[in-house]
Amino acid sequence: MLKSILFALVMLFTGFTTISAQTPQKRFEEANNLFNQSKFTEAARTYQQLIDEGYHQTSLYFNAGNAWYKAGKTGMAVYNYEKALQQSPNNQSVKHNLDIANQKVDGFVGELPLVFFQQWWQNLRLLHTPNGWATGVIIFFWLFIAGVALTRFLPGRSSTYIAIANYVTAVLTLLYLSVAISTYLSANDHSTGVIMAQHKVKSAPDETSRDIFEVGEGVKVHVTDATNEYCKIELADGKSGWISCAAIKRL
Amino acid sequence: MYRFCIRKCVYSILFCLGFVVTAAAQEFRFTTTVSSNSVTMDETFQIQFMLENGQNVSSFTPPSFKDFEVVQGPSQMQGQSIFNGKRSEYVALIYLLQPKHVGSFTIAGAQARVNGNMVKSNPVLIEVRKGSAPSQAQPSNPYAGNPSHGRSSGGGDDLPEGVLKKGEDLNEKLRKNIFLKVDVDKTNLYEGEQLTATYKLYTRLPTNSSVTKVPAFKGFSAKDIELPNPPQATEERVNGVQYKVFTIRKTLLFPLQSGTLELDPVEVDNQVRLISIVNNKQRGSRGRDPFEDFFNDPAFRDPFFDDFFNRPEVTYQDVPYKIQSNPISIHVKPVPVEGRPESYNGAVGSFNMTANVDKTKLTTDEALTLKVSISGRGNVNLLNSPKIDVPSGFEKFDPKVTDDIEKNSNPLQGSRTFEYVLMPKEAGDHTIPAVEFSYFDPVANAYKTIKSEPFTIHIEQGKQTKQEKQDFSVGKNELVKNETGVLNWTRNHTWFILSPWFYILLLIPVLVLAGLFLYKRRKDYKTTNAAVLKHRYANKVALKRLELAARYLKEGKDKAFYEETSRAVWGYLSSKLKIPMADLSKQLVQDKLGQRSINGSNTKDLFELIDNCEVALYAPGQDNRRMQGTYEQAVTIISNLEEALKN
Repeated sequence: MLKSILFALVMLFTGFTTISAQTPQKRFEEANNLFNQSKFTEAARTYQQLIDEGYHQTSLYFNAGNAWYKAGKTGMAVYNYEKALQQSPNNQSVKHNLDIANQKVDGFVGELPLVFFQQWWQNLRLLHTPNGWATGVIIFFWLFIAGVALTRFLPGRSSTYIAIANYVTAVLTLLYLSVAISTYLSANDHSTGVIMAQHKVKSAPDETSRDIFEVGEGVKVHVTDATNEYCKIELADGKSGWISCAAIKRL
Repeated sequence: MYRFCIRKCVYSILFCLGFVVTAAAQEFRFTTTVSSNSVTMDETFQIQFMLENGQNVSSFTPPSFKDFEVVQGPSQMQGQSIFNGKRSEYVALIYLLQPKHVGSFTIAGAQARVNGNMVKSNPVLIEVRKGSAPSQAQPSNPYAGNPSHGRSSGGGDDLPEGVLKKGEDLNEKLRKNIFLKVDVDKTNLYEGEQLTATYKLYTRLPTNSSVTKVPAFKGFSAKDIELPNPPQATEERVNGVQYKVFTIRKTLLFPLQSGTLELDPVEVDNQVRLISIVNNKQRGSRGRDPFEDFFNDPAFRDPFFDDFFNRPEVTYQDVPYKIQSNPISIHVKPVPVEGRPESYNGAVGSFNMTANVDKTKLTTDEALTLKVSISGRGNVNLLNSPKIDVPSGFEKFDPKVTDDIEKNSNPLQGSRTFEYVLMPKEAGDHTIPAVEFSYFDPVANAYKTIKSEPFTIHIEQGKQTKQEKQDFSVGKNELVKNETGVLNWTRNHTWFILSPWFYILLLIPVLVLAGLFLYKRRKDYKTTNAAVLKHRYANKVALKRLELAARYLKEGKDKAFYEETSRAVWGYLSSKLKIPMADLSKQLVQDKLGQRSINGSNTKDLFELIDNCEVALYAPGQDNRRMQGTYEQAVTIISNLEEALKN
């Protein structure tokens, strides 16, 4: 009797997990089908819904970008590609498609490539997941503490090897901590954005101020300052000005 | 036997037929028919005298139409008909009449001489009622009676001249006699299917017309058919009235979109030349023998000739008159979705396709031409280039399109040729896949697909080296395909670095380490630290005891003084040298001090003091001065030892 109840519970639990794991996958496949039937706007909406629900897979962003591109929404396409690139900066397909999308962007200015050490840092960050880095911090810190305790409380055994190991673990702990913090900060850095519709850039955060230039849909900008309604943006070529914050979708 | 029977039957049938035909050919008839026995005043009706199978007809006299106006005619009709195997020849005279008065009239039959005998057709009774709308304009045309010379059925008769009689409404006359008409061959068709629209001007008046507004054909692709210049008039009968018809525009239209489309009207400005008759000679209603007129010179029947010679009293009047055709709605259906092949790109009609390459063996220095020729009927002028999947070893250029469309063909017919220039880039054997072309056949209401053979091309390396390494790869400007596959559907929202567990886990080892430290400290205190403390405070304890001894010295209690001093010194040594009180002995103290390399005067003074104290304790009665000396000695020794043990 008890066994059967337990069995039922187990079944229920596994059933639940499979349902919750399948539904997004099904919707994802449905969106892929829509895409194949050239219903790009519908496909893009479905992808976007999944993203809004908190699924942040690179492939999802990538497909959403494709769908928006095909649907003619360059701004949304660039946004999704950039999001995908944030997660996997070395994904060649995403880079390629972003390049194509950027060809449609009015007034697109390419960003400067990263300097070699920045690239190293970026690649280093990809070594683990963000939570992996944090876990690493914990592990190495524990090892470090263990090493210190060893040297401290077992005076007879104290050797140079343990001392060296202590230094290594200390350095690794600091490294993991800094990478973990850096990944966290960069992931929560909303200082860049993509322009969603062609817009005039003003010289001051004020409706009546002079127009300086125009930014096209899909241009990636850095937001350097912001008031309630206006954001100060800076383009890759150094031009800057104020624009309504509603026109920018922050990455 | 069987065959013989059939042959016999056939012969007999043929024989029978022949008999019937010869018998029927003899039948002679002369009849009068009218289109309607009962007419209103403003109506016209047709009267026809039909002479069937008459031989040697030498004269033909129509009856007099004294109560009627001859609107048109006589027109003559001749022909043969074979009906149910009966062959008949006939001659007919047709008049178009309009009554003059209300009442019942009998039109006598016509007379003809056939084979020398006079024959008469049957008389007819016509009842004339009052018209519902009595017409003010009585078109009693003086020329209406002019006979025709047409031999075919409905042969042409003269158009009524632009004669404006007194009391005739000009507008009404114009409206009746000049109008525009649009002919379309269909109003319900598929997108891309051909539609022929003909804009025609119908007139019975001499007019000088010019087209002022041509239709734009919005939503169509139009192809005009060239019309003869100067325009040639044809004749057409509308409601029994003969008109001269000029074709203004004849256009082949191909709808480009589905829905209800409208053909714009055409506008024509007319300058109608009307003749006002000042002195009208009435001569129209006279019944005349049409056979007489056969021999008249046509030149004498020319109205202007007549006018010129017979009626100099007429005046001309040019009346401007603007007319517009009616717009026509065309319902265009989209081509069906189901069954639409992938290669379909808008061709509607009936086509044939050929595809060939100019060579199958070439070097990378040469170019290959793939020629796709599509010919047939339909929207040839709108054909899109068929999609060609060129393998990656070739560079494809946009096709050169040449049209060969038959002039003035209706339906549009011709061919369109696409020439693709392909530049081979890699040596080797390449296969160009079959060219596929689909079209929609509106007659069969189905899609049809034509496929060519695939081409195998052998390419050899040319002498020319590759200029620059350019990326012509397929998909350079194509999106990388979507990623499909099972994703790991987790919401990686949570940041471990932000969770309290991260900090707890960081703190745990620190706490453990701190705990270990504390534990060890306590343990050390128990073992070594207590002695260390004693050692540190030994001096103070000793000095305190000596203070107590000093008090005893003042009070003169010598025994207590020595006791205290001795205790101070021993206690100090015990604490400082970390020797338990019970183990204290002079020898041990000396060894310990020796270990710490304190020898000489200090040690000697120390033992002297200890001896003094012991002697004084067991031999009381010491004087005060000596006690004072001992005290000072004790203080000096302790401070000296303190100094010495510090180092």
